[in-house]
Amino acid sequence: MTDPDPRVSFEREALPHLDTMYRVALRLTGDPSRADDLTQDAMLKAFRGWHTFTSGTNARAWLLTILRNQFINDYRRTKNQGPAVDIMEIEGHTVFADVQETDPAGRFFDQIVDDEVTAAIEALPDEFREAVILSDLEGLPYAEIAEILGVPVGTVKSRLHRGRQILQRRLYQYAVDMGYIRGAQP
Amino acid sequence: MSEHLDCRQVVDRLYDFLDGELTATDAEEVRAHMAACAHCFERSDFEAAFLRFLEARGKGKDCPPEVRRRILDSLL
Repeated sequence: MTDPDPRVSFEREALPHLDTMYRVALRLTGDPSRADDLTQDAMLKAFRGWHTFTSGTNARAWLLTILRNQFINDYRRTKNQGPAVDIMEIEGHTVFADVQETDPAGRFFDQIVDDEVTAAIEALPDEFREAVILSDLEGLPYAEIAEILGVPVGTVKSRLHRGRQILQRRLYQYAVDMGYIRGAQP
Repeated sequence: MSEHLDCRQVVDRLYDFLDGELTATDAEEVRAHMAACAHCFERSDFEAAFLRFLEARGKGKDCPPEVRRRILDSLL
């Protein structure tokens, strides 16, 4: 079943994912005007390549792959690649271990302002950030994220795991600095 | 088939469990462990709270109407 007019099928299958595309673009670029451009460029590229999309397969993954490739080409080289040191430091040391006596339910998270949450996500090294955006903010399954990033599911899992640990550590440290929670004794 | 997982195995599977990526059988094993292990139950609770917080507070805004309009105009 092929629509004679590609605009009809594009509108039906691709456009419902526009908000997802924009939200991901916003968290990838960290800047609304760049997110506008990235979303528009990716949508235009998707429309031009729409004949290569197999109707009925996963349009969201297909679109997000285009968006991500566009981001890499246009923006990534100007962005941080992140500090390798921090990543080593968090291995084997969980925030839960620090808060299990004082705040095991993690209530301190709720006191953290939105700007700090956004800043923490945007400061993640790109490969962890894209996994966290797709999983934790957009709720995509591992297999779909693996398809978009072009890596095995095991790699998605390890990037997610590390990305979450880095975020937790930073947000916990912020909460300690702000006095929302008492820091663990070293 | 490991009917009884230890704490290490549960922690290793925790994110898969919370992300709904385990099979029904594997998820049941994790639940069975947590029903008997307060520490793993609390740990799971903490990680689940963190993930809820992240989604609620980190998610970006939807596409603004004027951007949507511009994109539609350029495409259709």
